Amino acid sequence: MVKNITIFTTNTCAYCVMVKKWLGAKGFAYEEVNLDTNPERQKEAFELSGALSVPVTVITKEDDSKEIVVGYNLAKLAPAVG
Amino acid sequence: MADKEIHDVIMVGAGPCALTAAIYTTREDIDTVLFEKGVIGGLAAVTDWIDNYPGFVDGISGLDLSDALYKQAERFGAEIRLGEVTEIIDEGSMKKLVTTDGDIYAKSVLVATGSDYKKLGIAGEKEYYARGVHYCATCDGAFYRDKRIVVVGGGNSAVQEAMFLTKFATHIDLLVRGDSMRASEILQHELEKHKEKITVHLNTTTDEIVGENNVVTKVVGTDTTSGQKIEIETDGVFVFIGLLPNTQFLASSKIELDEIGMVKTDSNLQTSMPGVFAAGDVRAGATMQIASAAGEGATAALMIRKYLEDHERGVIAPPSPATMSAT
Ligand SMILES: Cc1cc2nc3c(=O)[nH]c(=O)nc-3n(C[C@H](O)[C@H](O)[C@H](O)COP(=O)(O)OP(=O)(O)OC[C@H]3O[C@@H](n4cnc5c(N)ncnc54)[C@H](O)[C@@H]3O)c2cc1C
Repeated sequence: MVKNITIFTTNTCAYCVMVKKWLGAKGFAYEEVNLDTNPERQKEAFELSGALSVPVTVITKEDDSKEIVVGYNLAKLAPAVG
Repeated sequence: MADKEIHDVIMVGAGPCALTAAIYTTREDIDTVLFEKGVIGGLAAVTDWIDNYPGFVDGISGLDLSDALYKQAERFGAEIRLGEVTEIIDEGSMKKLVTTDGDIYAKSVLVATGSDYKKLGIAGEKEYYARGVHYCATCDGAFYRDKRIVVVGGGNSAVQEAMFLTKFATHIDLLVRGDSMRASEILQHELEKHKEKITVHLNTTTDEIVGENNVVTKVVGTDTTSGQKIEIETDGVFVFIGLLPNTQFLASSKIELDEIGMVKTDSNLQTSMPGVFAAGDVRAGATMQIASAAGEGATAALMIRKYLEDHERGVIAPPSPATMSAT
């Protein structure tokens, strides 16, 4: 079970829009961290994902384990929230 | 057994071409479903700013244009599914589409799958993908605030993206393989205005991306006029060296492609498989512009309407090989 979801995004990232659209359509709420307005959190996104790229979606489960999905990748996102 | 799911038209892709086609077909009450495996809006959605799409005096951001096209298509009833079409099978008057959502049938199909970024195919490129090697400036540029970047390519996309990246980077080295740029005059003129931040290296190949401790540190290239190896220190590399048509999924269909894999059509935009049309960047002869992709989308929609009407009346003309365009 999903406890909460955080998505790291930027203003110009089209794949971020797709992740939000997809999660929204599946009825998931999420917190968005926009790295253009919060550049100080870039390091956190990188440390979590190992990628210099957005979107980074962090799915925290009920047992506090985390799954991290880089990019708009439904093959990874769907099982991570499922 | 469950009934087959059948639609009047299925559009593969939801870039500017298919979204425009969908506006036309749905306004005519033609039952339309689009499949999109990536971003709604296609390559237009990942482009920062579009200055040459008619009707927007000051230009429009790629995301805003895509969103407007999407909403307009949805307003008339287009259904967009987030999934991939992996095969088109000709079953005569019906086409079977194999998709990540299962099999689905259509009386007609529009292939509007555009193209994807080419890779360099050099050492370090795969290893540092998304950790220093990138193909989308609007997605990943923000990670390069106050850093140095290398951009590879000399065409319109490379120049446009290099200029976008000046928002973040302290300096950009633009590596161009040829002895001149392929970008349009107007973009080259714009590039001049950024000469403080962008250094253009003509006659320079990009041979290797090198890193240390998991981070990119330099690009190794060759100055082809002197044959000398050169090294450019950098924090990241953005690659824009052209596009490859998204037609691999047509390999088993026998739909005719040209030598670089673009879909051949006749003058009605019909492919060699009757009832399957192609338009936009994926079509042999495409001019690779949003306005032309939208225009071809509109034309394809009208041709599809005619095909469906003829089909209802039992008058089906096969595509004429004599008019198939390859250029
Ligand atoms: C960096 C850059 C800058 C550009 N700037 C401009 C500009 O300023 N002005 C301009 O006019 N043009 C510009 N272009 C070109 C423009 O983006 C394209 O001409 C236009 O997007 C083509 O539209 P399309 O619908 O044919 O294809 P695309 O936009 O490529 O859309 C095709 C869609 O099909 C999807 N797809 C592919 N295969 C499948 C499958 N098997 N199943 C489901 N979906 C699939 C893809 O994910 C994609 O979303 C630029 C291009 C680039 C790369």
